[in-house]
Order: sequence, then structure tokens, then C-alpha cells
Amino acid sequence: MTKVRVRRYDPDRGGKPYFQSYEMDTPKGRTVLDVLREIHHHEDATLSFRCSCNSAICGSCGMRINGQARLACNTQASAMVEEFGELTIEPLGNLKPVKDLVVDMGPFWGSVMAVRPFLQHKGKEPAGLYPVTKAQMDFTKIARDCIFCGSCLSDCTSREANPAFLGPAALAKAFKFAGDPRDDTTKDRLLNYSKENGIWDCDTCLYCNEVCPMGVKPMDAILHMREMAIGAGLVNTQGAKHALAFHDTVMEWGKVNEAVTAKNSLGIGGLATRNTVGILARGAMTGKRPAILKEKLAGMAAVHRLRRSVEGEKRRRSRG
Amino acid sequence: MPKHDVVVIGGGLAGASAALEARARGADVAIVTKLHPARSHSVAAMGGINAALEEGDSWEGHAFDTVKGSDYLADQDAAEVMCKAAKETILRLDHWGTPFSRDEQGKMAHRPFGGMGMPRAYFAGDRTGLALMQTSLEQLFRVNATVYEELMAIDLVVQDNRFHGVVAYDVKSGAVVEIPAKAGVMCTGPAGRMYSKTTNALTCTGDGHGMVWRAGGALKDMEFVQFHPTTLHGPNVLITEAARGDGGILLNARGERFMTKYAPKLLDLAPRDITSRAIQTEVNEGRGHPGGYVDLDLTMMGEAKIRERLPEVWEFAEKFAGVNPAKEYVPIEPGQHYIMGGIATDSQGATTIQGLWAAGECACVSLHGANRLGGNALLECLVYGKITGGHAADYAKKQPAPTSSPSALQNASRKVDALLKAKGGANVQRLKEEMGEAMAAGVGVFREEDGMMRALTSVRQVKKRAQALAVGDSGKRFNYALIEALEMENLIALAEVIAYSALLRKESRGAHSRTDFPQRNDVEWLKHTLAWRRGEEIAITYEPVRITLFPPKERTY
Repeated sequence: MTKVRVRRYDPDRGGKPYFQSYEMDTPKGRTVLDVLREIHHHEDATLSFRCSCNSAICGSCGMRINGQARLACNTQASAMVEEFGELTIEPLGNLKPVKDLVVDMGPFWGSVMAVRPFLQHKGKEPAGLYPVTKAQMDFTKIARDCIFCGSCLSDCTSREANPAFLGPAALAKAFKFAGDPRDDTTKDRLLNYSKENGIWDCDTCLYCNEVCPMGVKPMDAILHMREMAIGAGLVNTQGAKHALAFHDTVMEWGKVNEAVTAKNSLGIGGLATRNTVGILARGAMTGKRPAILKEKLAGMAAVHRLRRSVEGEKRRRSRG
Repeated sequence: MPKHDVVVIGGGLAGASAALEARARGADVAIVTKLHPARSHSVAAMGGINAALEEGDSWEGHAFDTVKGSDYLADQDAAEVMCKAAKETILRLDHWGTPFSRDEQGKMAHRPFGGMGMPRAYFAGDRTGLALMQTSLEQLFRVNATVYEELMAIDLVVQDNRFHGVVAYDVKSGAVVEIPAKAGVMCTGPAGRMYSKTTNALTCTGDGHGMVWRAGGALKDMEFVQFHPTTLHGPNVLITEAARGDGGILLNARGERFMTKYAPKLLDLAPRDITSRAIQTEVNEGRGHPGGYVDLDLTMMGEAKIRERLPEVWEFAEKFAGVNPAKEYVPIEPGQHYIMGGIATDSQGATTIQGLWAAGECACVSLHGANRLGGNALLECLVYGKITGGHAADYAKKQPAPTSSPSALQNASRKVDALLKAKGGANVQRLKEEMGEAMAAGVGVFREEDGMMRALTSVRQVKKRAQALAVGDSGKRFNYALIEALEMENLIALAEVIAYSALLRKESRGAHSRTDFPQRNDVEWLKHTLAWRRGEEIAITYEPVRITLFPPKERTY
């Protein structure tokens, strides 16, 4: 028998979340959803959780299982027990639980809606199919199979720090259209996504890529859009300025010159509005004072060779 | 709840199409779904959507294959409507942004599918349903459509056989509400959960069928139940027909390619009824693996091709069966997959209730007759969703403002309250399992008189015991125990209709395969079964098949 800990919450009954434990069989082949359904059908009918297809395609049963967002229906219970010794099941993170494992998906859909998630074509549509090649279509493949399960949003550290951040699922959806040759509003999209709470607010922790049960890569989609934004000349955003400042100091000194980076990212005005002196003072006290680079790295030629090689590779890839 | 011109019940591919079209015609539309549109079972369709787009192909060719596949039970005027609309439908979806798979030159990629004379299944990898559903959802977002999510319709409001709206249970709050409307479109999808082995979602419980049934509407051809030949042995997760379209073959436990015996020409790409029977015969005659399954061999495709064209198959094989399909065989068995029958409609999707249309799997337009071909279901949802949405909008324009029905609301509240208060009755899940086993055993791939009688008796016993259910949860919010009890009423009603209709049809046709009547009998049985509720009894009438293009012939592959 396996100890199954389920986080319960019912605003109509006390309203405080608590863990309830069940003793359940978890033989090989039984999924976490099977276990939950067994509890629901034969132990405790009051346990609420969403599920539908049981084939990992409808996105209903996203939940936190042993600390990570997963689909209950394609997570083998025995594999979890082997790794963790027990099963701990909680609602998705970064969304408000409304009953047991059920969360309010409203803010999730709100973020998706905010990216204008539909093809925008200006002018007349072609008489036949859009003339696009496999290579052109494959560009957005990494964003295409999203089932809106909310796993990425649940484990997104940037969303945790900033609930207004659009989050990985919405931005992956955004990329599906920003990168679609049939969409005529790429630049408008990139401009919108470059604003606050958009592509530049991701801290690239990679969790979204890792937890997606469908192999979608939201973080890669975000990075693509950053490159596209700079490529489209949208460099007047703080995120783009920050990235370019990094690039420029590395190209000049061979490493990051934090003082120059900060000045170029934020501007003198930006530095003034933040407590720059305080930050510097605290840094000095804790030994984290940024180095003021005076000299270039020895072997700058190697740095530029590296840059040329990366750029060459990128050109090669973009040609397919 | 606010009143609407048109209420669409169900938010899948058919429902979204209906709502979009009704809205485009200026109607005030609301979608009511017990899930969220994105969770609809349309997303589970994998392999493709059919259309005659290639040179040398024609809508007539597509229609002929559809009619032949149906074992001549399809209404041919309906097949004509669907096949003619296929090209326009694919274009519309492409223009809306569906990422159909393309080749290096930009031509849309297509693959052969079971029972099709030409390769004409277009696809987005093996996640075609997901891609089409996403696009439809995106369009709902674009027009900012009214969608009442997690609102489960319980019953239709019908007076003098005229539709006036629906009463529903709000999953989020526990409230019972009424949504008055001038017109309705049923798009509630599949009903396969009365079978123990099924590829259908846990939520595919025939709610729309059940509502129409209780409201006095007719169900048509419910005895025709499709068993998909290749579901993963055990969890019955769907392994798409595209796996065979792309080269996969079936092997029995002796390693023999047995389809050579059953369909010498089309082999592994024979229609689903024939392939399921072939597998079942191999198993019944002792040439399956212990536990009752055979093998699907995909190894010749190699890892790269499987991952590119069948990523979902790869995932399923790996995650649910622990099999590497590039190196090992995938264990498969037939499982309930689709019901050709459904809410009876005419060739424009109008039900027997005035002001109510039906589209998608819950409807029986009759396009699929006795057996549906792969790739036609997604097409039907899109084509008939649009047609019925248009009709409902046009009809609503001519109707007076919708009125409320306090008595309907009261009845629904009583039904919910009674279930919430019920104690000491039967366990819903146990009853469901019992019914599922009985249906699989008696009204499965092969059928005969005694087995069907036993199934019918079991279902009737379940029905009796279900009059007192133990719900076990009296809570207001997200009470899934209550939802399952409400769904159970629908499943039982439909299981009884399926078993009864099957028992009466004394012939073999398409998916209805009787060992005691192995031949198709056009003289007596080239007709549709219509089932009507008469109190607690089922009344059966028959209706002729509309044959316009292709006179019935022997069906060989």
C-alpha cells in the first residue's frame, strides 16, 4: 500500500487547505489519475479534480504531483512511488484553488487572450491554400502542441514573482502566430509582446520546457521572439536594451561590464530612479561590488571568432 | 441566465463551428459546455480529415468510398453535402491558421486511410483533432464568443415538441439555471462510456442523446457502434489508423500478417469494422496473445519517421505500454470508438424537435451508416456544425423572444436535489462497470441473439438499481459525484436503446455483425432504425435509406 497525500480545500467547509492521506494500491500500470478516481469512486466521493480524455491530450488533469506539475493521466503512480516513496498530490501552482485539486483557470485564459491568439491576415485571403513550405511551418512547431493544461504556468518562477507576467503558455501561443508566415501582424505582435510582463520578463529558468507534457518549449519560443524583436528593430524596450548592452560589453571587453550594462540598459535617468547608490553600497558591503573593467580580456580575437561562429550557425539554421 | 437567440450545447469542433456560423449570421449565440471547449473530445482525433483535393480525385469518389464504407446505410444526399463541402472546409481552416502538415514545396501532405480509394486524409502530424480544435478555439477567442464553461446541460426545455432552451447545473457554484433560447444545436459528442473498453473520454456520456431522448426526440441507428481495431491493450488509448496508413502492419501471436486473409486487397487498411473483426477472430481462434491482443508492427518505419509523423503514437506506446515502437511491437486490441447512430436528423441536421439541430458525433445525419471511415468524423463536425449553426440562426430570426419555463427549472432542481440527498443506494461506478462489461460482452464486435438478450437484461437491471443511487457528496462546488450520477442516467438510456435496436436488426451490416445472421439483407433491412421513448418503453420505427447516387453492391475490399 502506498501513502497518498492529497491537498484538500473546500471554501464551504472551513475553508482551510489541509492534507488528507489515503492508503492505496499502486501497482505498475496504474496512473495517478487511476488512483484519484479509485479514491473518488470507492473511498471519498467528495474529492474534486478535473479529468476527461485519459489520453494526455485534453489538458484537464494538470496538477502538482510530488512537487512538479504533471498530467495525472500519463504519470505512472509506481514510478512516482519509486522515486519519492509516496504520492503527494496538490493543485497547480500560481493559480487559485477553488475546491481540492480544482484551480481557477480564469487568469490562465486571461493571459492567453491577451496575446491575441488567432491568425491576423490583412487584405484578401488567397483563393487556394496559403503557399507556405514545411520549413516555414516547422519554425513554430515547438509551440504548436499546447493543450492548455497549465503545467508550465504552475511552475513558472517569473509568474510566481510577478503575477502579471503573461507566462509561458500564453507566450508560446504568441509565438505560434508571431512566427507564422501567414500572419501579417508580426511586428505589431512583437511590439506588444515586448512590453512590460511580456517576453523580456521571463527569467529563463527553463522549468516550462521541462514540465510540459507535450514537448512544447515555451522558453525557446520566448527566446525566438526576443531575437525576432531585436531583428525587427524593436530595440527601444528595456529588455532589448539590456540584452544589447550585454552583447556590446562582451564584444568590447570580452566579459560583462556590469556598470556599463546597467547604464546602457536603464539609461542615466533609469539609474537615477532606482536606488543605485544604495545597491552599490550594499554590494560593496557584501563583497558583491560589480567589477569596473578597465582592460579588455586577453584573446579578444577568440571572442570574435566565437561570435562569428555562432552567427554563421544561426544563418545556416535559418536557411533550414 | 441571459436569454439567447441560439444556444449551442457542447464546445467541441461541431459546437464551435455552429456557434461561429450562427454568430456570423448575426445571431446572439452562447455555447454551454460541461467542460471547457479546449477539453472537448475533438482534440483526441488523431490521424486526419478527408477531402478530395488531389488531381484525379473528386467529391464523388469521396462520397462513393463513404457510402461503400457505410455498407450502403448512409443517406447519400447527406454524404454528398459533406463531401462537396470538404474542400471549402479545409481552405477555411487553413485560412484560420491550422498548421496542416506540408511537404518541402508547400503542398499539403496527405496519407491513405482505411476504406478510402485514394489517399485523401489531410493532417497535422497525428494531432489533427488538436490542431483543428485549437484553430476553432482561436476563432471563438477572436469573436469573443459567449461560452458558459463548466455548465452542464441537464435537460432540454421542450413544449409541444418545440425547443425553448436548456436547464443546466453550474459545476462551479452548484446552482441549477435556465438558459432560454429560440433555437438550439446539440453538439455533445460521443457516448461510448457505456462500454468497458473504449477510446472515448471519461466525459463522453451521451448527455445530448439523453436530453433529446427524454424530451421525446428520436435516436437513429444506435445499434451501429464502431470498434477501433487498434487501441492499446489495457488502457484502450487510441492508436491512430494513420499508423497503418504510414506503413504499420498487424501480426498475430504467430507473427503472421493475418489481414491477407480478411482483406486481400486493402490488407491492413481495410475499414475499421472488417479489421476489428479480423483481430477478434484471430484472438477467438487462439492466434492472439494471452489476454486477448495482437501486435501492431511499426518497426519498419524507424524512429525518425515515427517521431515525425506519429509523435502521439510514440508517446502513448512509451508512456502507457512501456514499448519502444521502433524496436518492439505495440500490443493492440479492438475497443469501442465511435457510434454511427445518434440523434436523428434530416440531411440538414434538423432533429425531430422543432427549433433543434444536431451535429457531430451525437447526431445521426446519417453520413456513416453502418460503419464510419477514418477521417470523416472531423470533417462532419466542421461541415455540419456550420450548416446547423446557420439554420439555427436563420430560424431564430423568425421567432419571438424566448420565454422562461419555471416548471422546467423546478424539475431540474428537484432532480439535482434528490441526487444530492440520496443515501444508501447503489455505487454509480460499480453500476457503470457492470453495464460496461455487459455491453462489451453482448453488443460488441460480434453479436448474437442470446448474448444481446443477456446484455439487455443486465442493462435493465442496472437501470432499475440506478433509481436509488448513492452519490456520496452533497457539496455545492465541483461535485463530480453528482455529475457522474447525472451522466449515468444518459448512459443507461442509450445502452438500452443500443442493445434493443441491435437485437431487432436480424442481419449483419457494417459494424453490426451477427454470427446468427451473417449476411447483409437489403430486402428486409436496408433501412434506418428509429427509437422513441414511450414512457419507460422503447418504440421502434423504421425509415428508408435515401439512395441517390450509388446503388447498393456487395462490399469487398
